[in-house]
Amino acid sequence: MRIQNVGMRFGGLWALSDVSFDVERGAIVGLIGPNGSGKTTLMNVISGVLKPTSGSVVYRDRKISDVPTYDVCKLGIARTFQIVKPFANLTVLENVAVGSMYGRNGAKRSTSQAFDASQGLLERVGLARVAGKPASDLTIPDRKRLEVAKALALDPDVLLLDEVMAGLNLAEVDEALQLLRKINDEGVTLIVVEHLMKAIMLISTTVVVLAEGKKIAQGTAAEVTSSQAVIEAYLGSRFAERQAQLAEIKRQAEVAQQLERGLP
Amino acid sequence: MTKLGLGGITGSRQAFYVVLGLMAVLLFVPQMHNGYLENLFRGILMYGAMSLGWNLIGGYTGYVSFGNVVFFGLGAYTAATLSTHGIRNVGVAIALAVVIAVIFATLFGPPILRLKGHYFAIATLGLALATQEIVSNLDYFGGGTGLTVRQDQFFSLYYYVMWGICLVSLLATYAIARSKLGYALVAIRENEDAAAVLGINATRYKVLAWAISGTMAGAAGAVFAFANGFIDPETAFSVDNNIFPIVMALLGGVGTVAGPVAGALILTAINETLWSHFPKVHTIFFGAVIILVVLFLPRGLLYLFRTRLSPRIFLESLRAYRV
Repeated sequence: MRIQNVGMRFGGLWALSDVSFDVERGAIVGLIGPNGSGKTTLMNVISGVLKPTSGSVVYRDRKISDVPTYDVCKLGIARTFQIVKPFANLTVLENVAVGSMYGRNGAKRSTSQAFDASQGLLERVGLARVAGKPASDLTIPDRKRLEVAKALALDPDVLLLDEVMAGLNLAEVDEALQLLRKINDEGVTLIVVEHLMKAIMLISTTVVVLAEGKKIAQGTAAEVTSSQAVIEAYLGSRFAERQAQLAEIKRQAEVAQQLERGLP
Repeated sequence: MTKLGLGGITGSRQAFYVVLGLMAVLLFVPQMHNGYLENLFRGILMYGAMSLGWNLIGGYTGYVSFGNVVFFGLGAYTAATLSTHGIRNVGVAIALAVVIAVIFATLFGPPILRLKGHYFAIATLGLALATQEIVSNLDYFGGGTGLTVRQDQFFSLYYYVMWGICLVSLLATYAIARSKLGYALVAIRENEDAAAVLGINATRYKVLAWAISGTMAGAAGAVFAFANGFIDPETAFSVDNNIFPIVMALLGGVGTVAGPVAGALILTAINETLWSHFPKVHTIFFGAVIILVVLFLPRGLLYLFRTRLSPRIFLESLRAYRV
């Protein structure tokens, strides 16, 4: 998947400008950035919910913006919503079954096959215990799990996860990470937006950092965290300056030490 | 737990069987040779079919249409116009009414079903009023004075046909609620954006739901024209025929299979009782009943089938649906 010079304007505001990066098959791409940096907007563009003002997202030689939203999942791209959108009056199982019925392999499934497949997915994400409850009764973490199950019901090749770990406790985050790794091992490419840095750094093969709608860094977790631009974006330019000053003082002190040692 | 989650989206299964049983009983009404009763129950069946139709778009899909009377009126006028040309076969009239309803829904559905909430409601109301105006101004359709519809066949035939339309609508709704289509409609009602991401082409299914909805109302309209013997714009597109099916669905249970028919029965019974006891002020009581139902039983009477009866239900409903 290639994200090419994507720009997205809302009125006078460019929520994204000139964002480009490639997503390799089988990768886990972590997408991070401060609040309002355009992460969710980019997810919306990749999943075809928003058409970019400029640039394009190309997946298997097809421009996503040319495909109607309801057909994007048939290309093999599925997503979750950060602001969860359950079908409140349907049961948890029915919520997932709708995805099974209309997703990529939906045409091949009968209603009861869709329900059977969904039951399995609920077990995977840990929702089997509430399968028969209306989705409106779920807690926030369970709603996030439901979003993942609904997306998995589409049998995707690329899965976009928008803050699915928010609100989970540490043990649950571990579980979620294990699940994501397992999904990835089955050949699903993941693009993960998450505020939990630790989680993202642990799991991502590549991290892309956005700030104010621009891509400011890309690389492995270690590369990204040491990037000057990223520190600036997260902790402010004054912090970055002071860090630079500290580094300079340290360097000078080292030079002085060396000089001292160099003296007789 | 049944295989389809909470019993699926059909609503209470018992209620459905009760209504099916009632339908079987209603088949024998003409045997009583009582003109008043036959008329009354033909009305119930007619409203039952229209309410089932409204329930598909308004209840299952969540698009509250105030224009479904348009299909009823077009159906009635189809039958009347055919009759003036010497074609008095009720089957032919129904078939043509259905075709016209489907064409109408396919034509106007895509632009109108883009609108949501109040905007959709107002647009459908406008569509109904505009169609009524157009029909009243065309001399071909008898203008404001209307058309006479000749009845060749024995009169109770229209009762049986109306019964058949109501039954088919009921069974069709049941089949839809148990199919993939039903889940697409409910998904659209619950959250259209989420439905799209799951691969549901919302426009296509909304238009389909509206067309099926119109088919039910259109067929009922065609039979009504024959049974009534006379059609003018005021009767074909009447406010009663627009609002009653909606109130009936609300009363019985929106988005359930059995609700609309149960609602048609109960509301007509209430209406008749009030009308015969308080001929001058019955509409006031009627209005009060509607308000009470909306306040205390917004999920409809059939909801009582699903829970244990206690005063708590009414209070909870009052709280839950407060704006």
